[in-house]
Amino acid sequence: MSEFILQMKNISKTFPGVKALDDVELEVKHGEVHALVGENGAGKSTLIKILAGIHKPDAGAQFFFEGNEIEINKPNDATMKGISIIYQDLSLFPNLSVAENIYIGQDSHKRSWNKMNWKKIKNKAEDALNELESDINPNSVVEQLSIAQQQLVEIARALAFDSKLIVMDEPTSSLSSDEVEKLYKVINKLKKRGISIIFISHKLRELFEVSNRFTVLRDGKFVGSYVANQTTEQELIKMMVGRSVTYEKNQSKTEVGETILNVSNFSKKGNFKDISFDLRKGEILGLTGLVGSGRTELAQAIFGVSSPDTGSVKLFDKEISIKNSEQAVKHGIAYIPEARQTQGLVLEQSIVNNISLPVIKKLRNKFKLINRKKEVEIADEYVKTLDVRPPLPELNAEKFSGGNQQKVVIAKWLSADPSVVIFDEPTNGIDIGAKTEIHKLIRRLANDGIGVIVISSELPEILAVSDRILVMRKGRISGDLGVQEATQEKIMNYSLEGSGNVKTNQVANHSDEVTQEV
Amino acid sequence: MKSLLRQKEFSIFAIIVVISIILSIVSPAFLTIGNLLDVVEGNVVMGILAIGMTLIIITSDIDVSVAAITTAVAVSVGALFSYLPDSWISLAIIFLIAPVIGLLIGSVNGLLVSKIQIPAIVVTLGTLNIINGLVLYFTNGRYLNSTNFPKSFLSFSNVEIFGIPILIFILVFVAILTWYILKHTFIGRSVMAIGGNQQSSIRVGINYQKVKLFVFAYMGFLCGIAAIAQTAYTKAVDPNGLLGLELTVIAAVVLGGTNIHGGRGTIHGTLLGVLLLALIQNGMILARIDTFWQNVVTGAIIVFAVSYDHISYKRQQEKLAKIEVA
Amino acid sequence: MKLSKENILGLIALGTFLLMSLIAPGFLGSNNLTNFLFQLPEFGLLALAMMVVILTGGIDLSITYVAALSGVGAALMLTSGFSIIPAILVAILFGVACGAFNGFVISKIGVPAILVTLGTMVLFEGVILAITKGNSISGFGDTYSLIGNGYYMGIIPLPILIFIFFIVLTAILLNKTSWGRSVYMFGNNDVATHFSGIKNSRVLMKVYLYVGLLAAISAIIMTSRYNSVKVDLGSAYLLQSVAAAVLGGANIHGGYGKVMGTVYAVIIFQTISNGLNLLGAHSAIADVFIGGVLILVLTFNFFSDKFKRKKETQASTA
Repeated sequence: MSEFILQMKNISKTFPGVKALDDVELEVKHGEVHALVGENGAGKSTLIKILAGIHKPDAGAQFFFEGNEIEINKPNDATMKGISIIYQDLSLFPNLSVAENIYIGQDSHKRSWNKMNWKKIKNKAEDALNELESDINPNSVVEQLSIAQQQLVEIARALAFDSKLIVMDEPTSSLSSDEVEKLYKVINKLKKRGISIIFISHKLRELFEVSNRFTVLRDGKFVGSYVANQTTEQELIKMMVGRSVTYEKNQSKTEVGETILNVSNFSKKGNFKDISFDLRKGEILGLTGLVGSGRTELAQAIFGVSSPDTGSVKLFDKEISIKNSEQAVKHGIAYIPEARQTQGLVLEQSIVNNISLPVIKKLRNKFKLINRKKEVEIADEYVKTLDVRPPLPELNAEKFSGGNQQKVVIAKWLSADPSVVIFDEPTNGIDIGAKTEIHKLIRRLANDGIGVIVISSELPEILAVSDRILVMRKGRISGDLGVQEATQEKIMNYSLEGSGNVKTNQVANHSDEVTQEV
Repeated sequence: MKSLLRQKEFSIFAIIVVISIILSIVSPAFLTIGNLLDVVEGNVVMGILAIGMTLIIITSDIDVSVAAITTAVAVSVGALFSYLPDSWISLAIIFLIAPVIGLLIGSVNGLLVSKIQIPAIVVTLGTLNIINGLVLYFTNGRYLNSTNFPKSFLSFSNVEIFGIPILIFILVFVAILTWYILKHTFIGRSVMAIGGNQQSSIRVGINYQKVKLFVFAYMGFLCGIAAIAQTAYTKAVDPNGLLGLELTVIAAVVLGGTNIHGGRGTIHGTLLGVLLLALIQNGMILARIDTFWQNVVTGAIIVFAVSYDHISYKRQQEKLAKIEVA
Repeated sequence: MKLSKENILGLIALGTFLLMSLIAPGFLGSNNLTNFLFQLPEFGLLALAMMVVILTGGIDLSITYVAALSGVGAALMLTSGFSIIPAILVAILFGVACGAFNGFVISKIGVPAILVTLGTMVLFEGVILAITKGNSISGFGDTYSLIGNGYYMGIIPLPILIFIFFIVLTAILLNKTSWGRSVYMFGNNDVATHFSGIKNSRVLMKVYLYVGLLAAISAIIMTSRYNSVKVDLGSAYLLQSVAAAVLGGANIHGGYGKVMGTVYAVIIFQTISNGLNLLGAHSAIADVFIGGVLILVLTFNFFSDKFKRKKETQASTA
């Protein structure tokens, strides 16, 4: 028998205009946890989708499972061989029961008219859940479960399929730290049963904790496979990005001016509570905290996308009422959302149309018709000053890379001449070079006198760009620090429950993830 | 969610009860077995079509060609009648051929939606135009009365079992069959799964093109049965008799709690929706409300029901988005 | 030179027109051509209206009943002795009011348009029935009948002038105003417009108000031409207008659609039904053709897209 449970060889994948994968290989041993690492866009998910049978590789690809060559042409092929894939957004049916979710998909091509054997289905689900020591009721409907429980249902599904290899794509991205610990236990249990796991994550510390070996991809190319305890984090980062990366902590001494924005007593049920803060001219206010601590909800309430139950906003010492995003824009408040492609841009429209969207009413001539010439001029100008590439403003937004798309979103809001700009995870999914560029841009705005709030989970990013840092925990502001006194540990203390007595390894776990979250 | 769904169907049921109480006070004729059976029998066609439409809407598609398909099958059956002998064999032939014709037409819809990936509303608008045009061309809009019908068919349509008209049994049969398919077969669960999350269904290897083809083909099959029911009920073939029925059918399904966003819907909910619309109509006749006001009431109820449903759907989504606040 | 979708459609329209002039006797006769120009606008206006709704990813199933209700409004005024200006105003008022009702439920409550208009189509039909008791109202006087039957300067049918005016107006509104821009952007991604300070509900509301207006104009032409109004005024145009908008290139999911595409599609449909009529074909055959053309064109699109994608992939592999 082969040493490897899975071997993928000569994997290339060409999409129209892009070579997403170029002669990549992946070899996973029996019973190991194998981490697949690389920057965003390195080709990890394309590789997984090829394994899943969702993308077809270019000619020449070879797959071996337990030593035998196999064909993967359509979604169920891998599953039938004993490979399960757990996607980041899960593949569950919210309207069906846990038991059904575990069962569904098993030789679905044969049994259209077969009766559902409910007893067998329920037993099988119960067995799988028991094995995971889970007390989830197989009869409950999936949409009633928490994300962590839903993930467990997926793992149970893999067990019920008798999977020998489970792929987990960013499994910890929406779990709390307790839940992550529990997931590690489950992974260890699977390992003991001889099940191999391919683990994909951005959080390098996490990878070192669970995995035996790494395969590194960069720009669609295979960099190498390494044994975990013979590699350091810095080495790994270097392999991922091709050079070593660290952010400098912000040292700039900014002159803090008048108060631009004052938020007081902001509360919204089920979102955030008693939020008050000032934003002053020339300063960048960092807003951080764990995912789900209410940061985005707060920002969107200031921007008028949702309305708070109580509280008031003052702009330049004048109380303003913001009931919707239109009023926010009128008052000069801009919000750059995290979900660039769904909330920030209209992908099917040109850069020009996207940039002019918030100010379209100001670009009208005396007949109330859009002045196309002026519109194009503005777009041209921003494409030049922000160095958007390719510099083709008539091209649709979908044709640009993540970093350039982000520049377009920023351009769109600069055209609105804002006095306050709120950035929500401004460098999420952007490659490292573009990240520093975006950081510089943010600093430039602050120097021009715009009030800037930056929301980020990446602590080094927060430390690199902010002058002052607000930390949120469970919908409240739990910490307010100047950048000079702030450290990753301190911020983590404020982010986590029972601040003051956080276990050190936990802190390390969360605080360091940043440097590596490339 | 399950309890909420139950609630939803329960609230339709409650409305039905309230309306029934009001109607029985207004008109003593309402709460008679005769009247109630008439109401149900008169809506068998709508019920059969609504049951098929439920599956389609669960997969978050729509089919506006159902009335046209039913008419097309009825016209074909009518044409066939003059060649058929007056024996029980004719009856068997009709029951064999009508569903098959419907199934074939439905499969065309299904293929265009699943394989060619044209949006269902466009496909079924197209087939609706084509079928209606052909029906009009071949019949010239002429009404076909029962003189040419085989006697066996006429006597079949008058059969009553325990005093209940045979057509009601057909509806019950269709309802139980579809309920069974939806609830207890793999293809039925796939229908639910696709409506719940189409991407997941592709990932777990459910052949969603096949499932889409199935729901449209099954819809066609039920149109065939509905055509028999319609012909038996009216004892005639009227090429214009069902014009616009597809919209009432959709309304009944939506009233019955099936969500246009897909993934939710039950056969008994749909039957309650049909019953609700039927009772309103019957009640207004009994209450001697000008027939011209019936549409106003029906329309208002539909607008109200879909708005109410949407508001509660939104509330529920909002609740899911909430986070823990210390 | 690469032809746009709309230009290709224009060529198809021209081709159909030439074909019919060759095979249909009397197609080019002045009688028939004026007839053609009198019939086209009422359908064309409804198709334009439907296209605007489809741009937002919606559909308006109540559109022909909105038109009929507007027609009833005008008819009631005229038969009660008012002159044509108040009658026209009331028709427009009725149309816009119906649009406002649809718009309110769709934009403020957020219910999918297909469901709302499904309900309001039954509702408006009911209102018309309640007013007319199912009868037709007729006899509107000579001045009113000029709108649908008269000529400008003795040669150009008035309805076609009205239609051209609204083609231009719609094109300007959609392409040159901030509302029009928002309609397209909304149709592509309503979340992004919401996050860009666009008030989605106002954009949608205006869409349905405009649809109400166009339906009312169409109704005025129809009532004037027929000199009578009934509940089913223009009801045959419901599905045809959706078909025309889709054939005209509008994306049923929203975000794409051009005024000229719809106009060409309307011309194609009208040419086919007019030509078939002259050829002595049963009137119903036109419906079959229209449905067939719709499905064939979309099937063709599907395969040509597939082919194009394949070529692109091959090109980039090479």
